[in-house]
Amino acid sequence: MPLLLVLHWKHGAGSPLPITPVNATCATRHPCPSNVMSQIRNQLAQLNSSANALFILYYTAQGEPFPNNLDKLCAPNVTDFPPFHANGTEKVKLVELYRIIAYLGAALGNITHDQKLLNPNALSLHSKLSVTADVMRGLLSNVHCRLCNKYHVAHVDVTYGPDTSDKDVFQKKKLGCQLLGKYKQVIGVVTQAF
Amino acid sequence: MCSMDSCLCWRQSSWMVGRGKMRLPANFRWLLATFVLLYLLNQVNSQKKGTPRDLKCTTNNLQVWDCFWKAPLGTGRGTIYKVCIEDRPHSCQQLEKTNIKIPALLPGDHKITINALHDFESSISTFILNEKNVSLIPDTPEILNLSADFSTSTLHLKWNDKGSVFPHHSNVIWEIKVLRKDSMELIELVTHNTTLNGRDTVHHWSWTSDMPLECAIHHVRIRCYIDSLQFSGLKEWSKWSPVKNISWTPDSQTKVFPQDNVVLVGSDITFCCVSQEKVLLAQIGSKNCPLIHLDGENVAIKIHNISVSDNSGTNVIFSTENSMDGTVIFAGYPPDVPQKLNCETPDLEKIICSWDPGRPTALVGPRSTNYTLFESFSGKYVTFKNAEIPTNEKIYNFSLNFKELCKILFTVSPHSPTSFRVKDINSKAVTLSWRLSGNFAKINLLCQIKINKANSAQELRNVTIKGLENSSYRVAVDRLNPYTIYTFRIRCSSETYWKWSKWSSEKQHLTTEAIPSKGPDTWREWSSDGKNLIIYWKPLPINEANGKILSYNVSCSSDEETQSLSEIPDPQHKAEIRLDKNDYIISVVAKNSVGSSPPSKIASMEIPNDDLRVEQVVGMGKRILLTWHPDPNMTCDYVIKWCNSSRSEPCLMDWKKVPSNSTEAIIESDQFQPGVRYNFFLYGCRNQGYQLLRSIIGYIEELAPIVAPNFTVEDTSADSILVKWEAIPVEELRGFLRGYLFYFEKGERDTSKVRGLESGRSDIKVKNITDISQKTLRIADLQGKTSYHLVLRAYTDGGLGPEKSMFVVTKENSVGLIIAILIPVAVAVIIGVVTSILCYRKREWIKETFYPDIPNPENCKALQFQKSVCEGSSALKTLEMNPCTPNNVEVLETRSTLPKIEDTEIISPVAERPIDSSDVEPENHVIVSYCPPIIEEEIPNPAMDEAGGTSQVIYIDVQSMYQPQAKPEEDQETDPIVGAGYKPQMRLPIKSTVEETAAEDDIDKTAGYRPQANVNTWKLVSPDSPRSTDSNSEIVSFGSPCSINSRQFLIPPRDEDSPKSSGGGWSFSNFFQNKPND
Repeated sequence: MPLLLVLHWKHGAGSPLPITPVNATCATRHPCPSNVMSQIRNQLAQLNSSANALFILYYTAQGEPFPNNLDKLCAPNVTDFPPFHANGTEKVKLVELYRIIAYLGAALGNITHDQKLLNPNALSLHSKLSVTADVMRGLLSNVHCRLCNKYHVAHVDVTYGPDTSDKDVFQKKKLGCQLLGKYKQVIGVVTQAF
Repeated sequence: MCSMDSCLCWRQSSWMVGRGKMRLPANFRWLLATFVLLYLLNQVNSQKKGTPRDLKCTTNNLQVWDCFWKAPLGTGRGTIYKVCIEDRPHSCQQLEKTNIKIPALLPGDHKITINALHDFESSISTFILNEKNVSLIPDTPEILNLSADFSTSTLHLKWNDKGSVFPHHSNVIWEIKVLRKDSMELIELVTHNTTLNGRDTVHHWSWTSDMPLECAIHHVRIRCYIDSLQFSGLKEWSKWSPVKNISWTPDSQTKVFPQDNVVLVGSDITFCCVSQEKVLLAQIGSKNCPLIHLDGENVAIKIHNISVSDNSGTNVIFSTENSMDGTVIFAGYPPDVPQKLNCETPDLEKIICSWDPGRPTALVGPRSTNYTLFESFSGKYVTFKNAEIPTNEKIYNFSLNFKELCKILFTVSPHSPTSFRVKDINSKAVTLSWRLSGNFAKINLLCQIKINKANSAQELRNVTIKGLENSSYRVAVDRLNPYTIYTFRIRCSSETYWKWSKWSSEKQHLTTEAIPSKGPDTWREWSSDGKNLIIYWKPLPINEANGKILSYNVSCSSDEETQSLSEIPDPQHKAEIRLDKNDYIISVVAKNSVGSSPPSKIASMEIPNDDLRVEQVVGMGKRILLTWHPDPNMTCDYVIKWCNSSRSEPCLMDWKKVPSNSTEAIIESDQFQPGVRYNFFLYGCRNQGYQLLRSIIGYIEELAPIVAPNFTVEDTSADSILVKWEAIPVEELRGFLRGYLFYFEKGERDTSKVRGLESGRSDIKVKNITDISQKTLRIADLQGKTSYHLVLRAYTDGGLGPEKSMFVVTKENSVGLIIAILIPVAVAVIIGVVTSILCYRKREWIKETFYPDIPNPENCKALQFQKSVCEGSSALKTLEMNPCTPNNVEVLETRSTLPKIEDTEIISPVAERPIDSSDVEPENHVIVSYCPPIIEEEIPNPAMDEAGGTSQVIYIDVQSMYQPQAKPEEDQETDPIVGAGYKPQMRLPIKSTVEETAAEDDIDKTAGYRPQANVNTWKLVSPDSPRSTDSNSEIVSFGSPCSINSRQFLIPPRDEDSPKSSGGGWSFSNFFQNKPND
């Protein structure tokens, strides 16, 4: 988490800033594929299809009474989670998606780090977390590519969740569970919107 | 008031009294009573006078006594006390208060006088003061600091013992009280011992709470007790210090404590929750726990004997109405003492240690076990965090006196050799070089070389070399084969306390070539025309070639000339040389890049052998064993050559040489195939040449023939077939022919289904022909003009071959046919002749029997009678003998009242029977044969008239009179009663009465014959009845060609004695019995 925060931390982080003006320069390292929207949809579908399994795998690995108290321990009450408006324009949705994926990517990094220390033998959980994070990175790249090429958006300010490095183990477990519950909820809405 | 001296005196008196009781109880009782009385009086007087009283002294530091007393009654402010201590200079002090601090007095009694001056009056009290009467009451201790370590739930207490004020070293007992919650429930009361050492000392005391300190306020108090050995007075506890407390300031969030603690499995632990809301539920894992209420909404739970946790810890949850919070506890086991510690050094510079950690602690990640490895020679510590891998292996460097160290502790296990190289010395030796990191200068190394050669067993060679500092080692390996690929590996260890290093990487090396060690294996064959000699040789095996064979040199030498063929390239292993004569020595030499092999020589001459037989042999598997008797004439070796028998000469597949002392050889070749005939030739070697000793044909394995013998039918007769067949070619025979099986059976080509010949059918005849030279077979005892199914199969020891079948029809047997025709004809002729003779001999009888003379109607009196009767009637006509034309007559037996028909003059007696089935059926039509009567005759018989009056017979048609004889069976079915309607045209002869009776009795018994006349009439001899003209015979025979209902001749038997003759049925025996001549 600290590493991710450092990587993503910029001035103004914590409160979304307006997107880049249209006249700003926008360049991507690689040319944007023509079917990038299709890839975005596929990646969203992939995330959506695996979100519930990841959620189940996570709360099962945390031990009792997590599986039986999901409403209180894993309720999707995540503060500062970026909003998403499904009825917005594609540009707005892409910008919001970018923020969401950036938020979730950082949070998943923290969760992965915490779980490797807490549950070093839960290899399937680690694997699924890593795969999800990988897909999110690809999705973030594609969204950025689309924003840049079509809408000339070179930069989107993003926010991140709370730092959990100083929190006790239970709080890490709980926040991770809430985050994954929120992720499962949000990714379904986002997938439907695209 | 009680002054000190009075008290002391009293006490002293009491003591004395006490002693008096013990020593003088009786004599001084009165004296005691006197003292008591005086004491009471003194008291009364003192009060009356108002003297200081109740002097008491205490001390808190053993140096100063604080003495105080009560002022005399009636005095107040302004009273001056003069206190004097005897035996001390300047011991009197004057003061206005009722207490005085005096330096501690020496042990023993001291007299103290207190003179109270008030209003010019004085009252003096004297006290005896002793240290024993002084109380030691320490000052109230003061807690300097009370702090808390919330993470460990530990309170830290700090206070000063103020020991500087005490003149002596003394033991101090501290009593510390820990109180919890606002209600200050006592949680802990502990004593803590210290020593006063003359200086002010700050003491620390720590206490770990079973409950997290965050959840409740904790209070601490302290007091002390000085146990001074030098002080003989009364020692008392100090007062409790003021309370110090510790509390945690909660934030708005609910918090659960302790957080992330690691505890021992089985321990008891208390969790608490600091909450602003009411806590509804607490659970550990999925198990609910009872709540312990603390101050406010704070609650706690106590867990006894906690069980081991999962990797992610055990969750402890406190639920409020809106939220759920908790903490994680990690319960695990302490690490076991590491076992099986083993340390090795690969290079005498560092040690690799491993150990068995024992039981898992169930703690992972940051909570896993830390291991610290201490090496005493270097004094180094190495800490190893067993975070993830369970193998517990740590490497660290150290530097010591290696040799000593190795002897004592460690196993030397060098690193795997590196930079492993092989270099040629010659064709049979190489040098191996490698590097072994580490300084082994002071020890010897034992190295093991693994040598692998293709198609050979692995070889291990050990070499001992002296250890070097520069790590480069070299060793020579000899006894190798030239031009051979070897694979080398090496590993090393120290010579003592060794453990092998890992094997080095493999190094493959081809040794250099050497000259071929032997000449090639050679054979020769004369060409079919006998003019050319074909020389064969085999390629040298690799271990004899010692290199790549490049070419061969062949030379043929005799006493006169030498022919050579040079540089025959290697793939060619055959050469042909035209030779003029038979006696040559052929020499073959193989050459490689290094040189030529020794020549391989063979003589070209073949010594003839007149006594040569062809033998047979069958192998096993792919082997054939050939044996022969030793022949002392054979001075060199034996040669067995073989070839496929189907190939043309000169045929050579391979050959094998065996020493001259051998008597057997096993021929084995991958080229051998089952079912293929091979020719084997055994040659014996003499000085001048080879002689063919044996010629053998053989099979590796015999198989069944693949074709059937081709057979034909040479000849066919009425009872035999001659079959001829051809031999099967050797290639298709696939084994030694052992015979033929010939099957034959009756059968048609089109109709018969050829069934299996092996089914054991009895109708199949089998002939086993074991004479394989036989090529024909005659099958005899067959039936003429019959189709036969012929099958022929050949067989070897490998099995039966396929079958070939044929259908053959035998010829017709003409003699039999002729005989079959002639015999029935002859029999018929004979029968005819005999019959003719018999008929001729019996012609009279036959005539009488079948063709009796018919009486002349003109002689019939009846006609005369009729004529007379019918005179005068114009309708009457003369009797005409018209041919008897039968008509059908329908007899309708109806009991009508029709007028009697007079022409039914002959009435069937049967018709008169009252009970008759035909009578029951009045309209039953019966067709009878009838000859129309020509003459109506009325018989004057009243009985008959009556009978005839009741029935009427109507003759409708009359058939031919002679026809009934043609259908006797139909006649039998005719109702005999109905047949009674027949009327014979003449009177029956009258027999005797006896006979008539007998005949009447037989009427009912005889189904066949029915007399056509009324039996009753037979009793009467009518002069009008016709009689037989045969006067010689009394038997009256009559012929009635019109009798249709009788199978019986109407001729009565001649034998009158036989009753059967009149009623029994006619049989052929009767025909012979009734010979008239007899």
